[in-house]
Formats: sequence, structure tokens, C-alpha cells
Amino acid sequence: MLLLELSKHAGYLPVTLPAPSQVWSALLANPRGIGLALGETTMNAIRGYAVAIVVALGAAFIAAFVAALRPTIYNLGVGLSSIPLIAATPLLALWLGNGPLTRSLIAGLASYFPLLVGAMQGFRAYETNHMELFHVYSASRWRVFRFLILPSSLPYLFTGFKLAAPLAVLGSLTAELTGAENGIGVLMLNALFNFDIKMVWLTVLVACAMSGAGYAIWALIERLTIYWEAPSNSSG
Amino acid sequence: MPKDLTVKDASKWFDSRGQQVIALDRASLSLPAGGFGAIIGPSGCGKSTLLRMVADIIAPSAGSILVGNEKPSTARLEHAIGFVFQSATLLPWRTVRENIALPLAIVGRKSKRVARRTPDELIELVSLQGFEDALPAQLSGGMQQRVSIARALVLAPDILLLDEPFGALDEITRQRMNLELLRIWAESSTTALLVTHSIDEAVFMADSVFVMSPRPGRISQVVDVPLPRPRTLQMMSSKIFFDTVNRVREGLYGIDAQGTADLAAGAPAVVQ
Ligand SMILES: Nc1ncnc2c1ncn2[C@@H]1O[C@H](COP(=O)(O)OP(=O)(O)OP(=O)(O)O)[C@@H](O)[C@H]1O
Ligand SMILES: [Mg+2]
Repeated sequence: MLLLELSKHAGYLPVTLPAPSQVWSALLANPRGIGLALGETTMNAIRGYAVAIVVALGAAFIAAFVAALRPTIYNLGVGLSSIPLIAATPLLALWLGNGPLTRSLIAGLASYFPLLVGAMQGFRAYETNHMELFHVYSASRWRVFRFLILPSSLPYLFTGFKLAAPLAVLGSLTAELTGAENGIGVLMLNALFNFDIKMVWLTVLVACAMSGAGYAIWALIERLTIYWEAPSNSSG
Repeated sequence: MPKDLTVKDASKWFDSRGQQVIALDRASLSLPAGGFGAIIGPSGCGKSTLLRMVADIIAPSAGSILVGNEKPSTARLEHAIGFVFQSATLLPWRTVRENIALPLAIVGRKSKRVARRTPDELIELVSLQGFEDALPAQLSGGMQQRVSIARALVLAPDILLLDEPFGALDEITRQRMNLELLRIWAESSTTALLVTHSIDEAVFMADSVFVMSPRPGRISQVVDVPLPRPRTLQMMSSKIFFDTVNRVREGLYGIDAQGTADLAAGAPAVVQ
């Protein structure tokens, strides 16, 4: 940081790379506006993320119970994930209106795939001899799920949660690029058009911080939840 | 109430990539209710396969298995079977007490099985007091296996199946665990069937030793152990013990001289 600051003042850096102090001053120039934009983008990301969790885990749950549906659910998931978000946003906006609903859904669309893959893999990650143990006791399918499949899947679920959080932020940002009024994505786009380099960098940094925070929160929850594994073994 | 076990001409073949593997070839054995049987044989001869068929984990390809005059599936649905796997198979997120109580949680309160022991009584039985709240990762291999034995006993099974439960343990620990297992078995009124690789262990533990021949596996000989109960370590230096061990050894290693003749004649092993 210090090096960056000094090099800038010495004139070593190109115009496209501002000094940290300049980025900082961009934040100080309009903290309220940036705060509002941050709130908007975060809210859409969280809403979409929540929907994605419910849908992906629900689908994986069904796949765990009905083996015949597994390929269908998986292929549907792959197909859905291949939709280019930048194109999907205006389309969704046509149907659902150009509002938070559309942008939340895009955030969900952007983030559900690792959740789905993580859950579908996780729900099959139990050990065979554990399953045989449950079989010897004639456990009901629900009890097998609750006592074996779900706990065994937690490391996979958390991997999905961690990977999906930055994607939800990214989706929320992307959705703002086409016709939103507020949000970090809007600020970023405006700054780009106005060649406001400091602002571009500020929005980029804010976006990174949001993604990082999303990841870090889940890494923390994972560490507290999976108490039976030594921290050195976990992927956090 | 302990259940007797009758296996008659049970065979199992697996299809692995188009090729048929015969894991077990017309195995027969019978074990009276409350008896202690041991299965011994070389690796890959089908011991686990046989045990898993008795527990209804897999179904026989041919032949019949009766647990107390019922199909294994019936016994399983009655929660009458206790199974101790080769590895302890504990759930890593459950404490010792919670692992032992797992069958209770799985079966729920509706179960008709009455003769239950509380997890705490079982913890005492397997001498794990003080470790009730420890996680499996904090236990030694021997302690983990004791937890899994306690778990197998919590629903007071009518038949207890043990697949090389102490295979991974050192000689000393193993001997101690065997003594404990015999004590537990004597107190539990259950039929026990133990798979082992050790001749000494088989003779020391069992009333009858079922000797298996290598692939395709079948039971080639039954050796009765005329030692009284309760068994003590001193018995291991007795002449009866020595003679019985020799008979089992002959059954295991003399297999080619006699076993081939048996197989050629197609006669099932003599079982009483
Ligand atoms: N699911 C399966 N699919 C294909 N082959 C199998 C399967 N299970 C067992 N077998 C084969 O059946 C044979 C007997 O296996 P089993 O596990 O019963 O042997 P074992 O006597 O218990 O050996 P060990 O003492 O090493 O545990 C082996 O040749 C094994 O490869
Ligand atoms: Mg085996």
C-alpha cells in the first residue's frame, strides 16, 4: 500500500492506477451514496443467495431420496448455469420488472450451481460402512438422512456456501449493469463512463470486500459447525 | 432371547464387470442359541460375505439362512442383529455416549425391543467411564472398537456378528479385548459369531470353529472346542487347547490334500 502510494506520487504509475489515498478520498467524498449502493447490492445478493440455497438444497434433497430424478436435476442445473447472466437480466426485467426482484433472481442464478453440486455430492459422501450400519438397524430414510447423510455432507455443503457467496455478489453487480438506478454496479458503470478512475477502483475494492466477507462468514460458520474435524483438515 | 443360526448351502456370486466371482460356495453351518461360533479362513475366502448375508446386508445368491427360524430380513427388522464391523465405524460427530445410543435414536421409541441397556451401563461394561463425552477421534483404536461393541449391544441383540473386530489391534490389547468380549457375551445372553484370522483366538473364544477353505470359499471343517467356560488365559497352555489348535491348523493348511477331494466329490462339508 505504502509502496503504491509512494510510486504514485513519484509518477511511476499510469493514470489508470490511482494512489490508495485517492481511492480513499473518493469514498470520503460521498460516503452516504456509497453506503446506500452497498446496501442495495448486498440486499439483492443476500436475497438471491437465500433463494438459491433453498432451491439448490431442496433439489439435492429430492435427488438424494429419488435416485431416478438425480440425472434430471443435475442436467437441469448444468443447463441453467450456462445461461449468460448479462443477457438474462434484460429478459427477466421484461417479465418481472426492472426491480430488486429481477436482480435478486440474477444473484440467485449466479450462485446456485456450486450449492447444487456441493449438496448433491455431499449427500452421497457418506461412508459405505456407515450406511450398512444404518441398514442393519433398519433405519427409516428420514433418520438415515438426519443422522448420517446430512452430517456427512456438511464439508461439501460449506464448500458450496463459500464458493457461492462471491458469485451471488458478482451476480447482483452484473444485474445492475443493465438499467438499475442504484448499487455498486451502477456506480462502477458510471465511473467507467466518466473515466473516474478513483471511483472505478473504489467500486472494485468494495465488490471484492463484499465477496471476501461472504466467503469469510461461511468459513467461520464452518469452523464452528464441524467441530469434530481438526481445523488443519478443513478446507477453510 | 438368543436366536440360533442355520446356514444351509448358502452361495454368493458377484458380477464384477461381466466376470462372475464366486465369493462363497455352498457354505453350511449351524450355531445353537446362545452359542459362540468362530469363522476362520484365509483372506478373501468369503468370511465377511457370509456374515453380511446373515445380517441381511446382502442377499445370498442361492441357499438359505435362518436366524431363529426366520429370514435374516425379519431378524433385521426386529432389530435382533448386532453387528461389529472390522473398523469401528463410529460417527465422528457423535460422542462416545451418542454413538452407543445411535441404535436407540435410529429405532425410535416405537421399537418393541424391551431388554435394553442404557448407554451408561454399556459404557461401564466396556470400561470406558470418563470418556462418555469424548469424540471418536480422541480415542485409541481399541477404545473405538469397544464403543462399537457397546453400540452393538444397546438393543440387546439376539445374535451378535463380529467381523474381525480386533484385527487392527496389537496382540496384548487384542487378548484383553477378547476376554472382555467373552465376559460381555456371557452377561448378555446372545448368540455370537466371530470372524477372525487367528487360530488361537478362534479356539479361545468359540464353542465351534468353522474352518473355511480358500476361493471359492466354503466351510470345509467344523472343530468343536471341548474347553469349559468361563475361559481363562491359563487354558491357552492346556493340552486340550493345544490339540484343538492343531486340528484347526490341519483343517486350514491340509486343505489341498483333503479339500480338493471334497470339492471333486461335490459333497458339502459335514456340519452338525
Ligand atoms: N461387492 C463385491 N463385488 C465383487 N466381489 C466381491 C464383493 N464383495 C466381496 N467380493 C469378493 O468375494 C470374495 C470374498 O470376499 P470377503 O470380503 O467375504 O472375504 P473375507 O474372507 O472377508 O476376506 P478378509 O479376511 O480379507 O476380510 C473376495 O474375492 C472378494 O473380492
Ligand atoms: Mg472380511
